[in-house]
Amino acid sequence: MFSKPWAESTPVVSLDVATPQKISANSGFTTGRTVAIARNAFREAVRDRVLYNLVLFVLLLIAGAIFLGELSGGQEAKIIVDLGLSAMLLFGVFIAIFVGVGLVYKEIERRTLYAILSKPIGRGQFLVGKYLGLCLTLLVNVVVMGIGVSLALIYIKRGWNPLAIKIWPAILLIYLELTIMTAVALLFSTFSSPALSALLTFFVFLIGHFSGDLKELANTNSSAAARLLFRILYYLLPNLTTYSVITPAAHGIAPDAGSIGLAVAYAVVYSAVLLLAATMIFSGRNFK
Amino acid sequence: MIKSISLGIALIISLAVSVVLVRAIDSRRIKTQPQFGDEPLYVSPTTAKHLSLAFNGLAADWYWMRSLQYVGGKIVSFEDTHTESFTLSDLDVHLLPSLLRMSTALDPKFLPPYEYGAMLLPELNSDEAIALVNSGIANNPSSWRLYQHLGYIYWRLGDYDKASATYAAGATLPGAPAWMAAMGARMKADGGSRDAAREMYRHLDESSNDKSVKEMVERQLMRLDDLDEREAIRNVLTGYKEKNGRCLASWRDIANELRALRLTVDASGAPLDPSSTPYELIKNGCDVGLDINTKVPFK
Repeated sequence: MFSKPWAESTPVVSLDVATPQKISANSGFTTGRTVAIARNAFREAVRDRVLYNLVLFVLLLIAGAIFLGELSGGQEAKIIVDLGLSAMLLFGVFIAIFVGVGLVYKEIERRTLYAILSKPIGRGQFLVGKYLGLCLTLLVNVVVMGIGVSLALIYIKRGWNPLAIKIWPAILLIYLELTIMTAVALLFSTFSSPALSALLTFFVFLIGHFSGDLKELANTNSSAAARLLFRILYYLLPNLTTYSVITPAAHGIAPDAGSIGLAVAYAVVYSAVLLLAATMIFSGRNFK
Repeated sequence: MIKSISLGIALIISLAVSVVLVRAIDSRRIKTQPQFGDEPLYVSPTTAKHLSLAFNGLAADWYWMRSLQYVGGKIVSFEDTHTESFTLSDLDVHLLPSLLRMSTALDPKFLPPYEYGAMLLPELNSDEAIALVNSGIANNPSSWRLYQHLGYIYWRLGDYDKASATYAAGATLPGAPAWMAAMGARMKADGGSRDAAREMYRHLDESSNDKSVKEMVERQLMRLDDLDEREAIRNVLTGYKEKNGRCLASWRDIANELRALRLTVDASGAPLDPSSTPYELIKNGCDVGLDINTKVPFK
């Protein structure tokens, strides 16, 4: 009964990552090992049919938005952008959560992790590799969905539509939000079960969109202790409102370069913090 | 083989049963729809904005489409039960202000709900219409179109001074067309004239992409044409009475005069209103009125 998953997952990991030949080819280059794990994580995700179904569903939703736009009194383009980008964010978060929480857990459950960690691969490298692999998967998905939205906009205009380009900064910010959510999912998956990790990650997604309220509570609460608590939570939890630009994008309003630059920097730094925390927890775990 | 055929037959039967069930559910839904369609919105716009997370634009679209469906549904149900033409106050669209407020609170830069509200709400509650468009101006200070709509509301209220000031304020915004300033001046000089009204509706039609606004403008332009036509027909009727000492018995008697006025006349000699429905002779042939089946709005 246990032989099948073992047999299924072993080639994915051992052929490309754990074989001595591959390791020696990458010897001396720690980034090479991380990239190899990322590539395998990407392949593993790509082989997952659920992923295709989700992407297909979003593309169908975008196609449906064209027809829904007929009911909007001439607001087809706005409906397509709002529905398309919202679906992209929501399903992207689902992918990040459900694939992200399984990245480490699956390797532990199938016991392939022992084979990987017996090679000269650090636990941090393993986690970063898995993270980058899923980020690459999400990038491909987001680009496919974004092209779908752009094509739908061109289709309804029966010609070139400037909105087809103007939505891409918003798509970039959605992608950055997804990379943060992936890091959150990965962090939880290092010490918790997949179900609990998924739940906790979804809560972080929700709270992350209420960060403005946390800040307001931190500024307006009468109790000093509560103010401190909310301030800590505000800085500790991801500030996802920065990445919520779908509504302005539907009006053709793109964030300025400075805001995008700060959003990119925040996503990189915050994800790095989460990955470091994940590595610390994962390094402390005893798999014997 | 037999198993596959049996499964196929079972599939078709199940599908047919599900279609029957959906039809049964639909028939029940039609009966309950009016009751739930008018249910008030329990969530305040501010709360809705909070709860919508990053999806406030999508939620705004939802409320916008619901506004259109709400008014459309009321029109359809009125037309199903009445034969005469209607005004907005006949429709009982009391939920419309809340729906439009919700949509604009969720996406303050979404202009069509302000525009729609400016066109429809003055008939129901002009204060609500002014508040909605003013909130639009506060959120979109560079949009001259919202000034145009606010000017229109004041014009409808007969407050030509405020209409003139609003048009003039909108005219100063970047990108505002030159006719905004001209409308400001015209409102001051002859705000109550039909020509001013016709010009305003023409500009509304040109500056709007909204189908419902265009339809409303079309109806209002028909109404203005109707007023002009009826005035001309009344003059002919007065002339006929003065000449013959009695009112008109049949349209045929003045058909040539009506044609000379470039009015469209049908086979019976009756002049056609702007919606191509024959006018009616009223007050024993002394006056002209709209037919009950006309598409021209009565007010």
